[in-house]
Amino acid sequence: MPIIEVNNINKDFMVAKRETGFLGSVRSLFKREFIKKEAVKDISFSIEKGEMVGYIGPNGAGKSTTIKMLTGILVPSSGTIKVNGIVPYEQRQKNASNIGVVFGQRTQLWWDLPTIESFELLKEIYQVSDARYKQNMEIYQEILGLDEFLNTPVRQLSLGQRMRADIAASLLHDPPILFLDEPTIGLDVVAKEKMRTFIQEINRERKVTVILTTHDMEDIEKLCNRMVLIDHGQKVYDGDISAVKERFGKIRTLVVDVENGEATFDIVGAEVVKREANRVWLQFNRDEISASELIGRITQTHSIKDLTVEEPAIESIISRIYQEGFEEKLVSV
Amino acid sequence: MSYLPLYFKLVGAGVRAQLQYRFAFFMRIIGLITAYAGMAATMWVMLYRFDALGGWTFYEMLFLLALAVVSWGCCITVFFHFKSLDTYIVNGTFDRFLVRPIHPFFHFMSMKFDIGAVGQFIFSIVVFLWVSMAIDIDWSVWKVLFLLSTIIGGVLIQGGMLVIISALAFWTTKSEQFYWVAMYPARNLTNYPLVIYPKLVQMITAFIVPFGFVNYFPSTVILGKETPYFPDFVGFLSPLVGVVFFLLAYWLWMSGLSRYKSTGS
Ligand SMILES: Nc1ncnc2c1ncn2[C@@H]1O[C@H](COP(=O)(O)OP(=O)(O)OP(=O)(O)O)[C@@H](O)[C@H]1O
Ligand SMILES: [Mg+2]
Repeated sequence: MPIIEVNNINKDFMVAKRETGFLGSVRSLFKREFIKKEAVKDISFSIEKGEMVGYIGPNGAGKSTTIKMLTGILVPSSGTIKVNGIVPYEQRQKNASNIGVVFGQRTQLWWDLPTIESFELLKEIYQVSDARYKQNMEIYQEILGLDEFLNTPVRQLSLGQRMRADIAASLLHDPPILFLDEPTIGLDVVAKEKMRTFIQEINRERKVTVILTTHDMEDIEKLCNRMVLIDHGQKVYDGDISAVKERFGKIRTLVVDVENGEATFDIVGAEVVKREANRVWLQFNRDEISASELIGRITQTHSIKDLTVEEPAIESIISRIYQEGFEEKLVSV
Repeated sequence: MSYLPLYFKLVGAGVRAQLQYRFAFFMRIIGLITAYAGMAATMWVMLYRFDALGGWTFYEMLFLLALAVVSWGCCITVFFHFKSLDTYIVNGTFDRFLVRPIHPFFHFMSMKFDIGAVGQFIFSIVVFLWVSMAIDIDWSVWKVLFLLSTIIGGVLIQGGMLVIISALAFWTTKSEQFYWVAMYPARNLTNYPLVIYPKLVQMITAFIVPFGFVNYFPSTVILGKETPYFPDFVGFLSPLVGVVFFLLAYWLWMSGLSRYKSTGS
């Protein structure tokens, strides 16, 4: 039996034309004009226990809105949801003890207090037994390296530290389900890697079912077997990730600053797609040439002042999927 | 689950957070005491010339002020942050109260506990003692109990008002502004005996925004004053009015919350 079942959910927001100023707010109490905004349209999926699902789509696609419905923060306009046998918006508090939630954009911790205090308070809120608390804290401290900042107030934590603390906090009560809304946002490469290892571990060791949203394809590649792709509130793909990866994950862009912006690059497997002053964008296929190989080749003829490798943005994958009619072949409904 | 121990734990955290900003904390206490002392001084200057205002002497008015200040002090300790609900909603931090297995009203209430209100307590205790000596109020057990129940009623009335203002944020995403524009001036009215205001204002403070029950009506009982337009027992109703008004406010807040759950803003 699936641990999460979502059937034909819709979420419409009535967006009011906001009035400005105090008088505006008073007036808006009585009379407002609305525009209907369909944030989520007829989405269905079901997730089995222990799965790790990437829930992706461009900005404004409806990812966070879906997560909010699954956590009971929002009530769907229509359709049904069951999370671990519970309807989240009807039994919100009961649902809350079954789930862990991390909103990468904002912390759930007590801003002004040493980090450890947030853990202690959450222990009380979730009624975690002393033994369980101690055990979990030991594990999380070890994997996430929380010790180094447990006594630092949350507001002084770096983003990476804060995110580690947040995810540990969301798992204190051993929830069978974990919702992660952009858990790697703003993290550096090392921090992202740590975060991924941790997510992987709790999924493997504790069979925690994970749904995560992200704009980083690498999160998906490294963590998920399955992805649900949505755009404009609608599901456009649901299934195996390897097929998508196969097709689109290979194209990368290397951005180099060279001395001469007019320089020519004659390298097999890479082509110049854009130039701007002394900056050149080279698109390459990872199967044909690796980034380090490509950089090596360039340095033979040019001196590189700076470089970055750009991943294919999720937005571009989605637009490609549209252009190339990906869904017809792969949507498994 | 028992909410009381949890309340103290959460509130304790709030206090420790507040004490991280010690300087601001002490400045506020000093600021409050000074402001109230200034208000008392103004009354003295006013009554120096007129002896009485609406039949109220300087000491009686001080008593009235002290009663308002003490219940407002208790009220802001527990409820003041309700007026800032708009900030929580706008920057998205309100959602956290909805992903936890405890009651959201309780959770929000226990987020803060403003011990800065000791300024109010110091002021009002000093004034109560001073006035009691000056006009020989004889404090029987019953009077003390009456005063305590009145204070509880006053806390519930003003707390209820803050909760109502807070609830408006669920509809308008504004609440702080409503506090400053509506509640703050209304509360200031009650620093003076209502009898000096026009009948309409007195009716409003009795039946609509029941701030009259916070200090004016009960003070007339303790000080043995007349209440024109109102029956004599009106001064005993504060706890009842408080409970009813607070329940109404709570109900409004919870309706606002269910609206929030369908609009998300
Ligand atoms: N409370 C709200 N009121 C009105 N409209 C909203 C509300 N919340 C979200 N929306 C709108 O619904 C759509 C979906 O928003 P949502 O936050 O779910 O997107 P998302 O997929 O999480 O995007 P991002 O990747 O930027 O986080 C957007 O167009 C957004 O403007
Ligand atoms: Mg989002």
